[in-house]
Amino acid sequence: MSLPGYPPPEHFLGDLGLEVEVTTETTARVRTRVTPEVRSPDGGVRVGVLATLVDIVGGAIAARVLRPDWMATADLAIELVGPPVGPWVEAQGSVLRRGRTTLVIEALVVAVDEDGATTSVDGRAADPVAWASMTFAVLPAKGDGPPVQPAAELPVRWAITGGASTLPVLDALAVTVLDGAAGRVSVPVRPYLHNSFGAVQGGVVALIAEAAGAEALGAAQGHDGADMVVTDLQIAYLALGKVGPIVSSARVLATGPDGRAGAVVELRDAGADDRLTTVANVTAVPVGAARAPA
Amino acid sequence: MTTVGPDGEVEDGTGAVDRRRHVSDYFRLERWELPATTGDDGPASMAGRAPVDDHQRGPGGGLRTGGLLTSLDSLGGFTSGLAVLPRWIVTTSLLATVSELAHVGPLRLRADVLRRGRNSVVCALGVVDEGADDRHVAAATLTCAVLDPDAMTLEFERPFALPMPPPQADPVRPEAFFCIEPGHGPVTRLRLEDQLRNPWGILHGGAVAMLADEAACRATVAAVPAATGAVAATDVVLHYLRPVKVGPAEARCTVLGTRDGRTTVRVAIHDVGADDRLVTLGSVTVLTL
Repeated sequence: MSLPGYPPPEHFLGDLGLEVEVTTETTARVRTRVTPEVRSPDGGVRVGVLATLVDIVGGAIAARVLRPDWMATADLAIELVGPPVGPWVEAQGSVLRRGRTTLVIEALVVAVDEDGATTSVDGRAADPVAWASMTFAVLPAKGDGPPVQPAAELPVRWAITGGASTLPVLDALAVTVLDGAAGRVSVPVRPYLHNSFGAVQGGVVALIAEAAGAEALGAAQGHDGADMVVTDLQIAYLALGKVGPIVSSARVLATGPDGRAGAVVELRDAGADDRLTTVANVTAVPVGAARAPA
Repeated sequence: MTTVGPDGEVEDGTGAVDRRRHVSDYFRLERWELPATTGDDGPASMAGRAPVDDHQRGPGGGLRTGGLLTSLDSLGGFTSGLAVLPRWIVTTSLLATVSELAHVGPLRLRADVLRRGRNSVVCALGVVDEGADDRHVAAATLTCAVLDPDAMTLEFERPFALPMPPPQADPVRPEAFFCIEPGHGPVTRLRLEDQLRNPWGILHGGAVAMLADEAACRATVAAVPAATGAVAATDVVLHYLRPVKVGPAEARCTVLGTRDGRTTVRVAIHDVGADDRLVTLGSVTVLTL
């Protein structure tokens, strides 16, 4: 159920190399290979990359469930549970509730083998990699039909590939740190990171929030941002970021007894009168305190 | 017809229950409206303050997370409601990060409307510990759906202010106040007593949060060998999918895994008396202390 012309050949999602499968009317799964480009500082997978999988799996479900209406991501929460022990990570989404104005989706992120089976550890299924949930706002159809007609036969599969980047994901997005202690990072808006509305894609928003939170929380604890592992994101999508650059700021919360700390990150569209586009609660822990993946 | 008066009191014709204030009064939440700075016609912000009474402290030493979320829901919901008058709201999701469990108190809360749409309101919430040099101890995002209040007449003196309620003469623990049945293991029940209903007649969102907190902690103690000592809920995500109308509300927990001493618990809450339908789904992160 890919959108004609989206994403373009050079795109963040293509660089991730996503495989999408809508399995039933209300479920879908999306997976990506665990490569060095998506690794977090502790050797796991960046939570922003996992959030991207969740956003895509949610979108795949929503496009089918809501047709002929369309949708925009309203909020997304994800928390890391265990390390990614397989060669792939897969987000498995399902519908919780379809209301008149919103659609709520739950997603479990698991490690999977080459054949798609859930990775086993010591003879039993590995712990999930992450748990996530999200809310879509329903955008009523405008009478000229949906943006895409979903395939009638299930399951339906497609891939988003073609990316050639070998850069770490934050470098590929051109994230620039302006002031780490203030959580100020900047990202130019360009087609490489667009969603189907021509604004910053929801998973990219998660990655910007992850980067900004890590910088601020790292500075607050005397670390570099690259020494922090972001474990949780709670994101409220308020407005589209269309002009750019997207510039962040952060307010650091108290540090907990285990060294874990939180920050509130705001993203603004500097080219659109500093419009507030996103608020994210970010939780991180220093690398040394994080459990290394098996 | 239910009427909400200038002090937030509710008269439902029976004179029995002050539904809007009953839950927030338990946590002694003082609330006041902050002047709008944008010239907009709706309120931009509200503030609140609540002490941390000893009987409400959890294993972390401060106000237990379910109680903190209750106050956040009360303040954020009220702020969102004022922003959409003459319509009103119900909470649909609460995303909260609690970074400090040992509060001195009192806690000062602030709610700011981030977006006011036709169908929903999004509110940012922050909490500082006044007794600890205004340390930022928690942050949350609350989303509400906008509803027609039907027969409920909403009348408020503006700017709205509600003083801090006095201490309870005979304080009870939050679990007892919220009618959470004793027990252990992955399933925890809450009796839907009438005083726990909000002015819409459904279970208060704070009660749902407290049930999720208690249920996740019990599930962790039962399932995680390392959780032999005290445990406490920290970060919480709740999606209020449908109202709890009949009860009891039953929280069914699945322990997803433990990472760095923190256990992630999926919590599914069902309205047992309403065909056992799923009413709330979320996750609670439980810290082993």
